[in-house]
Amino acid sequence: MREKATTLYIGPQHPGITGNMMVKVQVEGDTIVKARTEVGYLHRAFEKLQERRNWLQSFTLLCRFCVPEPDPVEESYARAVELLEGREVPERAKYIRVLMLELARIGSYMLWFGGQNGSLGLYTMGQWSVGDRNYILDLFEELTGGRVYHMYIWPGGVRRDLPEGFADKVLRTMDYLEKRLKDYDDLMFENTIFQKRTQGVGIISKEKAVEWGVVGPVLRGCGIKSDIRIDDPYEVYDKLDFIVPTHEGGDIWSRALVRRQEIRQSIHIIRQVIEKMPSGEIYNRIPNPHKWALPKGDAYARTEATRGEVGMYIVSDGSTHPRRVHFRGAAYVHAITLLEDILVGENVADISAIMNSLGTCPPEIER
Amino acid sequence: METVLMNILGAVATFLVAFVVGMTYGGLSRKITARVQNRKGPPFYQNFIDAFKLGSKKSAIHHGAMHHLGPAFLMVSSVMTLMLVPVLTHNNWYPNLNFKGDLIFLLYIMTFGPLGMALGAGQTGNPNSAIGVTRGLSQMVGFEIPWVLALVSLMIQYHTTSITGLMAAQAHTGTWLMFSSPFAFIAAVMAMLGMFRYSPFDIVGAPTELASGPIAESGGKYLFVMMSSGSVFTFAKLTLYVDLFMGGADNLGILLIKTFALYLIPMLYGVTTPRYRTEQAVRWFWGWPSFFGLLAILQAVIF
Repeated sequence: MREKATTLYIGPQHPGITGNMMVKVQVEGDTIVKARTEVGYLHRAFEKLQERRNWLQSFTLLCRFCVPEPDPVEESYARAVELLEGREVPERAKYIRVLMLELARIGSYMLWFGGQNGSLGLYTMGQWSVGDRNYILDLFEELTGGRVYHMYIWPGGVRRDLPEGFADKVLRTMDYLEKRLKDYDDLMFENTIFQKRTQGVGIISKEKAVEWGVVGPVLRGCGIKSDIRIDDPYEVYDKLDFIVPTHEGGDIWSRALVRRQEIRQSIHIIRQVIEKMPSGEIYNRIPNPHKWALPKGDAYARTEATRGEVGMYIVSDGSTHPRRVHFRGAAYVHAITLLEDILVGENVADISAIMNSLGTCPPEIER
Repeated sequence: METVLMNILGAVATFLVAFVVGMTYGGLSRKITARVQNRKGPPFYQNFIDAFKLGSKKSAIHHGAMHHLGPAFLMVSSVMTLMLVPVLTHNNWYPNLNFKGDLIFLLYIMTFGPLGMALGAGQTGNPNSAIGVTRGLSQMVGFEIPWVLALVSLMIQYHTTSITGLMAAQAHTGTWLMFSSPFAFIAAVMAMLGMFRYSPFDIVGAPTELASGPIAESGGKYLFVMMSSGSVFTFAKLTLYVDLFMGGADNLGILLIKTFALYLIPMLYGVTTPRYRTEQAVRWFWGWPSFFGLLAILQAVIF
């Protein structure tokens, strides 16, 4: 006999949700039979608001597209503007940008560790990793003046050069984090209960991943080697040596492993950046921002963030303000269409864990 | 008359001791967990502050009579359990309500509170509460098996169904049952992990899954009563384990050392593990813990 379905509202106010959104699920027993995501709780009209700001003023909005990792959004916007205008960026600034992006990647994964493990009840892991993330934020604060929102990467380069002794601090922090990864492995990846909760859960097949336009660690967790840093290199990624980890399972476990290995790769990249960084200018100065008009046309730049590919499409009508700005966030696909599909058949206890494994970021959905 | 009065005063004193010790253990648990997690953590007396705050609040939400009675059932169950468990071995200021067969009665009365709470949570109409209750009862079905097997093995081995009888057996042989009946002790301790509902068995109120489950619709005074009864129940359960397996305690100091040592087991295990799903938890209890329970029965029958 068919059981009567119960409707559960996971969000918008729920400890298991990854931000301001809701997943409405119908469950029979513990099994999900239908899932619908609902967004609209966080719409701030960022894209529209940018049309009322000049090309530089947009940065106060850009960093709020995805709070855990604002730097890739800044970088993609800055690069799109540079592409449209044909503005050159000094080599040193490119290295500093990569340094920022990789530090942001590690910091974002540290925060993700907290969310993923919190969804499974392993709160110690989150306390450790979010605590360690503070060392990254300390570096950001020293370099940019802000811990979370930086507005540091902007058209023409970066806002300021590295302070004295900063490179050594970065290397010391990387040494520390590399040691801590062993503790993370002991607590999380070698924990049999974590394995039981994540292996074979939230599976995405390779075919479905391609069909739905899945990107980033979620795609790489399906065994597909895809990374904008390799496929369409930007800044100085083509001068750096690193690998793109992949795993075949397509489940939460595989996605977690990919992220874990990417932290090590980011540490490796940062060390190379410090070693290879040339001296010189960091900023190709733009004119007075209030009078700075971009040529008529459009441009698109894409960056590899921790959720996957983020892209910025800008249109200029030749004035001092954008005519249109459109942001492509990975979470749009992951948290709406994909989530609704893969939740069906899963256990109600795994909703939060699956959401976290997809890197859902509601502010990125509602621009 | 004077004896009755002394018993009443003794019972009240026992309740107060249980409340203070249970709340303090809860506070220490928060502190120790925080230190493991590289945090400073709240002061050990934070639970008292929280309880006072909750007790001072007015409750505006009303879900019906059973919702009111749910926390009361919990408290009744906790107090009755406490009254049945000998707190100190040579207790001359409060003779507890022990009698022949009290161990069997205790098995029933320990499940009374959660069942009452289930009725209360069910009346709220919140699906999270209902699912939480279902999970709690399922988990109870899981850990009751090794727990009962362990107790039955002790009853068989020592020919008594009385807690004081088992304590007397330990006093007579001079050996704690945790050493003379190791399989029963292991099964009972594994079952204890489920009773205390620390991770990986915190499935009842899993915040990220059920938004705190059965207590989702409760606040203020309801939470105060639940918190207080939980503290009393914690003390009663730990004291029961000390009585059954660690020879009881002659004085409060010894009791605190033994109970806290036991309390550390589920707490520290919980700090380092994620949460099981319901069926995984039940399967776990029906695995190794039940196997050790069966070994305990075999030991009792053969030896």
